[in-house]
Amino acid sequence: MSNFIQVLILGLALGGVLALMGSGLSLVFGVMRIVNLAHPALIIAGAYVAYWAFKLWGVDPIVSLPFAAIILSIVGILLYKLVFEREAKSAKYSEMSVLLTFSVAMCVEGALGSAFTNTQRVTSPGYATDAIFIGDIFIPTGQLYAGLISLGLIALLALVLKFSRFGYAIRATTQNREAAELLGVNVNLVSLASFAIGIALAGAAGTLVSFVFSFFPAKHWEWIAILMSLVVLGGMGSILGTVIAAFLLSVIAAFVGAWIGSTWSTMTFFLALFVILLVRPQGLFGEKPELT
Amino acid sequence: MDSSNVIEARKKHNDNLARGNDKTRATWFPLTLMALLLVLPALQFLGNYNYLLHMVLFTASYAVMASGWNILGGFAGYISLGHNVFFAIGGYFAGMILARYGVSTIILAPVAGLVAGIAGYLIGMITLRVRGPSFIISSLALVMIARILFDNWEFIGGANGVALPANELTVQWAKLPYYYAFVIMAAFAVWVSYRIKHSKFGLGLRAISKDEIKAESAGINTRFYKVLAFAISAFLVGMAGAVWGEYLTYIRPNIFLIILVSVNMVLMCILGGKGTVAGPVVGAIFIVVFNEIFVATLGASEINILATGLIMAVALIFFPLGIVGTLAKHHRLPKILNWD
Amino acid sequence: MTDLLQVTGITAGYGDGPSILDGATLTIEPGKVHCIIGPNGAGKSTLLKAICGMLKIREGEVIFKGERLNGLRPDQILRKGICFVPQENALFPKMTVRENLRMGGYILDDKDELERRIDEIMERFPILRERANQHAGNMSGGQQQTLAMARTMIIKPDIVMLDEPSLGLAPKIVQEMFDIMRIMTAEGITILLVEQNALTGLKNADWGVVLDLGRTLFEGPAVDVLSDPRIQELYLGGNKAA
Repeated sequence: MSNFIQVLILGLALGGVLALMGSGLSLVFGVMRIVNLAHPALIIAGAYVAYWAFKLWGVDPIVSLPFAAIILSIVGILLYKLVFEREAKSAKYSEMSVLLTFSVAMCVEGALGSAFTNTQRVTSPGYATDAIFIGDIFIPTGQLYAGLISLGLIALLALVLKFSRFGYAIRATTQNREAAELLGVNVNLVSLASFAIGIALAGAAGTLVSFVFSFFPAKHWEWIAILMSLVVLGGMGSILGTVIAAFLLSVIAAFVGAWIGSTWSTMTFFLALFVILLVRPQGLFGEKPELT
Repeated sequence: MDSSNVIEARKKHNDNLARGNDKTRATWFPLTLMALLLVLPALQFLGNYNYLLHMVLFTASYAVMASGWNILGGFAGYISLGHNVFFAIGGYFAGMILARYGVSTIILAPVAGLVAGIAGYLIGMITLRVRGPSFIISSLALVMIARILFDNWEFIGGANGVALPANELTVQWAKLPYYYAFVIMAAFAVWVSYRIKHSKFGLGLRAISKDEIKAESAGINTRFYKVLAFAISAFLVGMAGAVWGEYLTYIRPNIFLIILVSVNMVLMCILGGKGTVAGPVVGAIFIVVFNEIFVATLGASEINILATGLIMAVALIFFPLGIVGTLAKHHRLPKILNWD
Repeated sequence: MTDLLQVTGITAGYGDGPSILDGATLTIEPGKVHCIIGPNGAGKSTLLKAICGMLKIREGEVIFKGERLNGLRPDQILRKGICFVPQENALFPKMTVRENLRMGGYILDDKDELERRIDEIMERFPILRERANQHAGNMSGGQQQTLAMARTMIIKPDIVMLDEPSLGLAPKIVQEMFDIMRIMTAEGITILLVEQNALTGLKNADWGVVLDLGRTLFEGPAVDVLSDPRIQELYLGGNKAA
């Protein structure tokens, strides 16, 4: 039984981190209708920020989280201005914009790889290898802190979206871009800000990832498929859906990993994706049938 | 203002909105090119041109795959980022049979293609239920699943793969069978693309790519068309995979199922012009040449990936219709490149 | 009477496509209901979009209260006093009725004033008060259109432009929509609407505009437009008793 609870808690903690990783992606999709395949690559960029801050100056990754978020948000603004602004302004969001994010992902990977080589890295502050014991249950502190912080950030995001004027603007733009513009919302600014926030969330998630997983530039390919399964299961454009899907799938994957084998735990996400496409393509909370 | 005047003016207004058609084509060019390619290996009598043959062979193999991808991605508008799954299916099917029973993959290629095509059909029945971004995502997930499966399946050698016997020809002529196989396959792929484009099927696909809902309400059986396009494109890619394995004398997941292969297919079509017949071939030539230059100057490292990403981004932003497409749009397409 | 809005010689189109509008003109007088009719593809919706800033004007001018509106963004034009309600899809489906009304007052700075106006509107339109906390996407077509129109009143605009307000609605509900328009004009709002249903549109309007081939072919009091035999033949389905 304690083994069960242990796996459950681990699954939930990782679910929190995945939810954070996926929420930025969902936010950008909702506002700009672009599936940002470069999101995981930018998460890894955030991980590198935390890694080098720790290695060079001994800065704890959790402390470097806000800085990574700010740095990545600047990267996000630049990316938006250079690459995505034109796409976002055009009336139709096409698959070409997804391919564009794909090419950005390759550029980010290439840049990171050239600068930092392909060596596997992991940040190792003390708590990354520590654990706390509650009775029989063994909880690694690294995962625990990452999970709790992720939840905190997601809650913050939810509050901003529901109650702030800017949150209204984002929700309006997500639900009906034309109507929002006609009511005075500067949709281009909203897109820019949402993109920056989304990438900032990626940076934040990256700092947490840096001590929970080992990473290297090419790892983002694995993350793309995992995050995508969250977004599809949750429903494109629904942050709540992504968060729920993250917890659900992480817990299932944790059990699969514990009972069947760790190679197969990642399969859980990919198989879930296919099952959802078969059974309920719009996911839990998505718009049906499908956006073209 | 008079009723009949208005009606006439309306008709003229509508006629003005319709655009004309461009019917220039130079069939002699691809045919001449083909003839040249068929005789090229004769250079081997004069010296060691193995590198050149390899380059042409390599380009031809990608021309097949890119043309195959184009049928789904260019004609129907469904972007697949995981098409190398069929490359692997074809490669492994033919490769395993070669390893166990000694049957040449060149003979097996059509069968391997068929197997890949059937897989494409089945997979398409599932993944083509969704459109746009969700479909792209599913194609990525597909390649990830395939990678894990192939890496862990002992029967096909797992992550280490299976070594294949080389053919018995001398160094001077060893490449020849594969060379001709790929060149003929490329011609076949181009021919298939052309025939599809000029058929009712192709028209339906184009309608689907522009506006699927309207296509459906116009009576087109979109599901059948899409799945068929998927299957045909898988067939072509699978055939290429079959021969590629034997050419490399090795089948291994990290040859067939790396992201670079699928990126190349997509990039070639984008750079060349997706939706055109000549586009994938033009794109294949460009990318192969670019790659050679990059590897020669920068080395096969992460910078290569950065460069590929940049090329793709530039192509998508500045000429999304590709070389052939953009030239055609501005009515500057040289006739030799108009294979549509 | 000075014209509130003067639109002269507008040429506009979508993207770099052909010009849908080719010299359209329009004059709007305060307090009246103006109805634009014409066949499909004539450019009726295009004209409204050009006026409110959604589409780039290639040639021609839009003058509002003496000021030139060419090139301004939709939110800027909104602040000047022109509001546009798009066809069929004007609401935020996952927001409640109250939140939709709140969005109607997005450009207002005074939050208390906004809440006060929301309450006023809900007084005016009891159906909205009933459904204040329901998602707008769950309401019927008529209720949604009521919300869309009522929402425009929050910022007390000078002109409200409606693109096919009767689309998809039953005839009885359509009449309710026109009644709402009269409520709006009583409050001093000028209405400019585009109607596919030419007969109903003109019957309920003060001023009629016939748009065809991207140009204004005819402009005049609605009753005159209705009774003109040429218009009847071309746009009203032959000689029907007007």
